[in-house]
Amino acid sequence: MEVWDNLIWIVQDFVDPRKRVFVGYLFLSLVIAFVWMWWVGRRNPDNTKRSSLRRLFDKRIFFSNSAKADYKIFVLNRLFSGFISPLLLTQVGIATGMFYLLHDQDWIRSGAFGNTPKALVVALFSLTMFVVDDFTKYLLHRWMHRWPALWSLHKVHHSATTMTPITVYRVHPLEGVLYGARGAVAQGSTIGLFIFLFGNTVDLYTVVGVNVLVFAFHVTGSNLRHSHVDIHYWPWLERILISPAQHQLHHSVAEEHHDKNFGAALAVWDWLFGSLHLSEREKDLTFGLDGRDADYEADLGTIYFRPFKEIGRFFKRRATRLWHTVPKRSSPAAPRKDA
Amino acid sequence: MSITLKLGDGRQFMSKTLLKLTTSLVAGAFIATAATAADTYGPFPVTVKGYEGDKTNSVSYTGQIARHALHDSLKKAAAKGDGGANAAEVEAMLLAYFNGSDEDLAILAPASKDGFPVKQSTVNEISKGKNISGKFYNGAMPAWPGNVSGQEAVLHMIKHAAQSNGGFDAENGYDWGQIISKYTMGAMMYNQAVDNYLDEKLEADNKPNDKPYKDGAYYTGKEHSWDEAFGYWGGPAHTMSLTPKQAYGIAKGKDLAAADADGDGVVDLKSEHVFGPAYYAAGADKGGTQSTNYMHTIMQAFIDGRQLIADAKGEALTDAQRSELKAYAEVIESNWEKVLAEATFKYAGSVYKDIAKMGSLEGEELAKAYRNYVKHWGELKGFAMALQTGKNNLGGTATELNKLIGYGPVTLDNTYVTGIDADGNFLRERRATWSDYQLQMLQAQKLLKDTFGLASLTNDATADLESLAGKLSSDSNAETD
Ligand SMILES: [Zn+2]
Ligand SMILES: [Zn+2]
Repeated sequence: MEVWDNLIWIVQDFVDPRKRVFVGYLFLSLVIAFVWMWWVGRRNPDNTKRSSLRRLFDKRIFFSNSAKADYKIFVLNRLFSGFISPLLLTQVGIATGMFYLLHDQDWIRSGAFGNTPKALVVALFSLTMFVVDDFTKYLLHRWMHRWPALWSLHKVHHSATTMTPITVYRVHPLEGVLYGARGAVAQGSTIGLFIFLFGNTVDLYTVVGVNVLVFAFHVTGSNLRHSHVDIHYWPWLERILISPAQHQLHHSVAEEHHDKNFGAALAVWDWLFGSLHLSEREKDLTFGLDGRDADYEADLGTIYFRPFKEIGRFFKRRATRLWHTVPKRSSPAAPRKDA
Repeated sequence: MSITLKLGDGRQFMSKTLLKLTTSLVAGAFIATAATAADTYGPFPVTVKGYEGDKTNSVSYTGQIARHALHDSLKKAAAKGDGGANAAEVEAMLLAYFNGSDEDLAILAPASKDGFPVKQSTVNEISKGKNISGKFYNGAMPAWPGNVSGQEAVLHMIKHAAQSNGGFDAENGYDWGQIISKYTMGAMMYNQAVDNYLDEKLEADNKPNDKPYKDGAYYTGKEHSWDEAFGYWGGPAHTMSLTPKQAYGIAKGKDLAAADADGDGVVDLKSEHVFGPAYYAAGADKGGTQSTNYMHTIMQAFIDGRQLIADAKGEALTDAQRSELKAYAEVIESNWEKVLAEATFKYAGSVYKDIAKMGSLEGEELAKAYRNYVKHWGELKGFAMALQTGKNNLGGTATELNKLIGYGPVTLDNTYVTGIDADGNFLRERRATWSDYQLQMLQAQKLLKDTFGLASLTNDATADLESLAGKLSSDSNAETD
């Protein structure tokens, strides 16, 4: 009984349609990948359904050291999921704070658009929620790459040398908390704003309990972003939506691919802020980190603890530098160690 | 349970007789359960030592029922003004209901209507010589302008009600019937019950149980003290067998079947009607989250306490018995306080919503919505004042609540009452925006919810935020790429 309960607890994301790795989405991703592989190689006489399947379920990918580390991290990180639950309370708090704050504004009154047709409000809310969520994910992802302390954490995700849908869980727990906090702020303030403007007509269009747009993202193969199936879109579409191949390019070790394609579902943010890189056909990518950080690949100790060490070192360096550049006013006669 | 099983298992070969037998068993079991569960307040035996009269039931609270009738009629009478011409006449009428009268006063409410015949039509038919004024809270009342006492406040209200048009003062934003009525539910009923009968009258040397309440009475000191508190609560004797919805229907004069416990076809105000406090307990249980059970909790404590006194058989209560009795009193008091706070919370939410509604209206429709807003504000204010008439000094909570609600609502020209002049006329010397006032309503709701641990939360202005946040499951937010 107890064993069974524990098992359920570990695999519950696979049966939760609000999660990317829900079995239904995984199955659809497989179908998409299979059709893609067969279609891409349709002129190659060696390309049979059987060979497509074999390439899809490549042992060297699913049982690589990197993938095995992913699976362990998946289980371990479930232990940390408790850190994220209190964020729901934070989200309600932020929504309420936003709601209060808006009442303090003289130029707008509550329920100002209370007579808007319900269908319109719900559509607008669902769309806004999706866009705001996606944009804040883009921003945070960008910062994860730009700021050294955050990069120490985000390196964990980029250290995967082979990718499977489970790689989405290859994230340092602290990064998970940061993303959770982002969600609380983004969603909380959007909720507060909408309820203030539209009153109780606000609602979300959901399918199987998830925003219909998020659902669309998942059924169209969101799981293939972390895979070796390099599905790419037409160039015009890759400026609007991030294709699996574009995210794979984000994971590439090649210098020219660094800091590109931060987007989650939408590519417009990358396009707008100059970090877009269209996918490159027929080009094999190498995933992972270069040289010095290679031991991140499969060593769990490194993966969980190295980031703390690095962040500690980083702040120590900062503090020392700060200490030396601030002139000591209280004792002007004291000799400066360096200039 | 076992009977149901018999029915199910034996169906195929059950003879008609067996079926009949089983049915009567089920029916019998049902009636037996009903008799024990539907505990009523009385009759309780006469236990007072040395009583030689022919009374067999020691329960008596007609004086309180008469006061409920005075209160309901006072509220009704507050709407009789025609804008000034009949002010003297209306004020006299209001004061008659407030102070009592040598004449037998007509019961203006609850009055008989189609499908809901009421047994009594004058106050004296219930009890003679009763008034509200003698039982009205008279401590400080900082919630009302002019540094007044509790009684000065209500007399000030009565004077203005008499001068108003139909009890409505659009300019200052008052609905007199509502304010006076809700305030009285605290200042008379709640205050008398929790701060007098369930408080000092439970002490050993005050109205002891081994003596009649007064010379020649057929009830003991403790029996009658408890009955008086129960009378102010305003629930019918058969409250335990009523759902909150039925109790609500009785108070609204719509559910004769539920009210008429003795089946004589009329509603006896003395034991079958639902008055103010019990009505608002039912309202809280029936509305909002439907997670509360104030009405039955309070009623059960009243019945259990009364049973305890009856079981003492006319002997003085021991310290242990009195402390048990005080525990019941504590249940009554804390839940009653919550009922008043829930009502205050509910109307703060109404006021919030009314403001949102008014924002998009004009002309006739706006005037109508404003009338509703003023009505709800009157209930809000009245209940907020009622809360401040209990046994406990609410201290900072009261100060904060009074600040948030103010002396008057924000009116159509954005002014609001800030005080009174030497003649008692209202001054409106400040302005506030509708949004500011809405924010104050939100803060008032939060204050009430946090201070009193409310759970029914009818008209919670931030409930939508929570339910929407719940829909966006936050832990998948942690999903990164
Ligand atoms: Zn990245
Ligand atoms: Zn990734």
